[in-house]
Amino acid sequence: MPDLLRRLLRTPQGAIGLAIILAALVMAIAGTSIAPYSPEQFHPRARFGGPSAAFWLGTDQFGRDLFSRLLAGARATLFYALAATLLGTAAGAVLGTLSAFLGGLVDEVLMRIVDAVMAIPNLLFTLLIVTVLGASGVNALIAIGIAFTPGMARVTRSVALTVRRQDYVAAAIARGESSGYIVLREMLPNVVGPIVVEATIRVAFAVMALATLSFLGLGAQPPSSEWGLMVAEARPYLFRNAWMMIVPGFAIALVAIAFNLFGDGLRDALNPRT
Amino acid sequence: MSASYLARRLLSIVFTVLVVSLLVFGITQVLPADAAVMLLGENATPEQLAAVRTRLGLDQPVWWQYLRWIGGVVRGDLGTSLETGLPVAGEMLTALGRSLLLAALSLLLMLVIAIPLGVIAALRRGKPADVAIGLGSYVGVSMPEFVTATLVLITLGHPEVGLLPATGYVPLTENFGEGLSRLVLPVLTVSVILVAHVARMVRSELVDVLGTDYVRAARLKGLSPRRVLFRHALRNALLPTITIVALDVGYLLGGIIVVEEIFAFPGIGRALIVAIQQRDLPSIQAGALIMATTYALANLCADIAYAALDKRIRYA
Amino acid sequence: MATALAAGTVLGRTSALAQAPRRGGTLRVSVDQAPGKLNPLQHRVGPEYLLGEMLYSGLTRLGPDMSAQPDLATSWSSNETLTEWTFKLRPNVTFHDGSKLTAQDVAASFAAMLDPATGSPARSNIGPVDSVTAVDDLTVVAKLKGAYADLPVAFAYTNAKIVPAAVLSGQMARLDREAIGTGPFRLVSYEPSRLTVMERNPAYYDPERPYVDRVEVQLFPDSAARTGAIISSQNDLMLSVSVTEFERLRNAAGVKALRTPSGQFLNIIMGCDQKPFNDVRVRQALSLTLDREALVDLVAEGLGSVGVDTPVNSAYRFNRELPAKKPDMARAKQLLAEAGYPRGLELTLIASDRPNTRAQLAVAIREMAKPAGFTINVQTMAHATFLDQVWTKGPFYIGLYNMQPSMDGIFGLLYTSNAAWNETKWNNAAFDKLIDEARRTADDDRRRALYGEAQKLVYDEVPSLVPVFFDLLAAQRDYVQGFNLHPRGAVYRIDEVWLTERAPRRG
Repeated sequence: MPDLLRRLLRTPQGAIGLAIILAALVMAIAGTSIAPYSPEQFHPRARFGGPSAAFWLGTDQFGRDLFSRLLAGARATLFYALAATLLGTAAGAVLGTLSAFLGGLVDEVLMRIVDAVMAIPNLLFTLLIVTVLGASGVNALIAIGIAFTPGMARVTRSVALTVRRQDYVAAAIARGESSGYIVLREMLPNVVGPIVVEATIRVAFAVMALATLSFLGLGAQPPSSEWGLMVAEARPYLFRNAWMMIVPGFAIALVAIAFNLFGDGLRDALNPRT
Repeated sequence: MSASYLARRLLSIVFTVLVVSLLVFGITQVLPADAAVMLLGENATPEQLAAVRTRLGLDQPVWWQYLRWIGGVVRGDLGTSLETGLPVAGEMLTALGRSLLLAALSLLLMLVIAIPLGVIAALRRGKPADVAIGLGSYVGVSMPEFVTATLVLITLGHPEVGLLPATGYVPLTENFGEGLSRLVLPVLTVSVILVAHVARMVRSELVDVLGTDYVRAARLKGLSPRRVLFRHALRNALLPTITIVALDVGYLLGGIIVVEEIFAFPGIGRALIVAIQQRDLPSIQAGALIMATTYALANLCADIAYAALDKRIRYA
Repeated sequence: MATALAAGTVLGRTSALAQAPRRGGTLRVSVDQAPGKLNPLQHRVGPEYLLGEMLYSGLTRLGPDMSAQPDLATSWSSNETLTEWTFKLRPNVTFHDGSKLTAQDVAASFAAMLDPATGSPARSNIGPVDSVTAVDDLTVVAKLKGAYADLPVAFAYTNAKIVPAAVLSGQMARLDREAIGTGPFRLVSYEPSRLTVMERNPAYYDPERPYVDRVEVQLFPDSAARTGAIISSQNDLMLSVSVTEFERLRNAAGVKALRTPSGQFLNIIMGCDQKPFNDVRVRQALSLTLDREALVDLVAEGLGSVGVDTPVNSAYRFNRELPAKKPDMARAKQLLAEAGYPRGLELTLIASDRPNTRAQLAVAIREMAKPAGFTINVQTMAHATFLDQVWTKGPFYIGLYNMQPSMDGIFGLLYTSNAAWNETKWNNAAFDKLIDEARRTADDDRRRALYGEAQKLVYDEVPSLVPVFFDLLAAQRDYVQGFNLHPRGAVYRIDEVWLTERAPRRG
């Protein structure tokens, strides 16, 4: 693991991505305790403010401090995106591995269904699920997790199938190792790698998808300061105070970039070939 | 490519559409608040609701509603919109046509921009140009459409600037120039993410191909770098890109939902959002089904194109 | 604040005097929602009302002062007890399909409105009508279930449009696709997701109007985009302006921003039949936490006026001015303690997601009520879910209502025990009696006194909080003449609009 980290940090993508992610995580954890104001406190006399000494990133339509809201919203945005990805990855991994190991008719049927579900554009599928569940941050999380599942199942299955055919697995079988040993020691580490890479890049999608759902009014709800919701609330005031939109919009893009960079760095670190 | 392969692919598309139809129908059945509520709005009384539900057939068993619906779909009848009372199929196919126009123009613009960018980045690997393109593409893929769209809207579409009409849609057949000018901003927005995505793909594929023995051999034969690039390397690098573009059609169909919403572009994405908000079940079902079918067909087309371009690939 | 409106009106009037309305041209109008329903009996939203008014006619229509004016009916009268009304119809009026309008059509149209199967909002808004029957070709009689002084005003309701009797007998679905009315315009094409085109009806009963040849109704759902469209002169008249865009429009060259005080309000409904709101002190305490001046700024961007928890304001006839309500946290705390909540009260306030001002108000109230000991959790939900599960049922939610043509209209819709949407369940017998008596009273001064008393009851007992009234906002290009922004919000009178020579020529 330390070796992987070293290799990861040697790639510029990995280093930059990890740095931004760590900074965002610190924001999310420390969040409200280092915020100068309560994220919900009104300052009626300081509405639509630009950056100033009192309000570092400006204020919104209620005069709420954008910096404090950004910090508070980091938790809703980041943790929810991570949780959604985790949910989709876990469900997909189980489904994909199951399909690969059971094989035969079960595999065929499962994969046909996965194909069919993937034929629904991702955002549309998420939208439909969230409409059924009702608009809220948690439901958006679940919907994104469900929408990720078929894709992750397909990735897991194909990786599991390739790994199974590898020489070292054949060698282990020839050595007469138990199947438990083969799965745990030989296959799992090789399956996990590509899945982690895929999942990392998906976090970036999850951040964007969460924000998009909130933007469409189907994700987090006021008075939450989830970043997508902040952008959605800022849109009507675009010409009054552009900071309301720039601050959370930039934050979303930055975190998404970080996870994309990190994922690419991770892939390079795992495949020293290129 | 054999006829049996095609037949099998078409059969799998039918299966896909069937699964999607079940899924979409199931989802629309459990939507909170049914169409009668939305139809009557705040004026609904219980007896009015009951009357409307009977009129719409919402009081019949679910399996019967599904069979009736799917039977209609097979005959090309996608039902009647609860909202407008007009046949859904016509509305949705018109909207799809507009979305496809938007998608096609975006793909075209993307190809024109992304391939040269990818080639430049691959040839200048590690140089500032490569780094800049790489960074730009990271920003491109990481910006949600609504952020990009809003940025485009307040810069190029700013009414006080008066550069371009921000929104709305005019059919090209009605007024070609005006119709085209209104497509500029949505096409630009959709292209941003696609360009970022595909330029990266072209770059990495090209870097791989340039490193192969095949290209090295061509160089050693004394072919000009230009000839090596265009006749040998690029052709091979672009093949996998086709698959990516086909996958991007899926993104396109989903992603333009937001873009259509912001630019008030009456495509299928917006039609669906409106249908979902109004609980217009036949429209939701038809829209989702049409989108899924389009996506499946796009993938099939990509496979055929891939096979046609790459003679080495043989399908059993 | 009234200056923008006054300037607009005065300018319109003076130029109208200086020069006769010019005929011809194409007027482009932008709306914010798709006019999804073409059948006028089933219209529910502004853009549909716009089409209904242009394509169809009612018996009466609503004047700028909220009085009934002749439309298809040229005159009307009632019996002594106000329970039977006779309307005389305009002769020689034809529908768009060439058929002649008779009293039969009127009777059939009202029968359709009152039939629950039609699903017409008119059913609960045109007064206590029992039946409308034809006496001769040009006379109808409306028999009521009870006395109703406001009937001519109620008959101006947006959905009370006259359609041919022949179509109503079994062919009502035709009205989803075509328009067969007697209105000043005829339908040319109808594509609700984009564009609806209408042209002058040459057979309109008023030979003078309409002035423009053609009207195009364009859909622009996005608020910023809609503003951009009129600033860049893509269209001439913008019927829906959000408070956040008003300033931009006011500063734009060639654009006139219009504003008129209206009775449209946001309120907080409290179920008076259940704990804790069955205690009037809880309702009064919450009312005392509100800084209404600040709310007008926060929710309406200053483009509105404060309310004192009654659903009517100066835009209504017979309004009584009541003293302002100021925030008083100490008194609020005390009332809450007296009601049995000395340690405060936790509540869940529900706001639907459309329009977003509902959530804005909810969030603002949550903050304002905190110091008095209220802990308010805001919960938002999709509008469809809200209508299905919360509206008129839930004990604590945000409502939004348009101005009604009359005081009886709004009180009878929301506050009386037998109100169509009795959401507060306040069920106050004294209040009911006052409203009922006003219905039976023809004398204006007497009615003013009765409504004033009713208002005072609502003011004191606070069945719902009405902190903010919204002004209605619109915008037009400066070459548009004759458009007057109506406070009711569902009256447009496009037939009175004309374009000066400076208007761009359009195919």
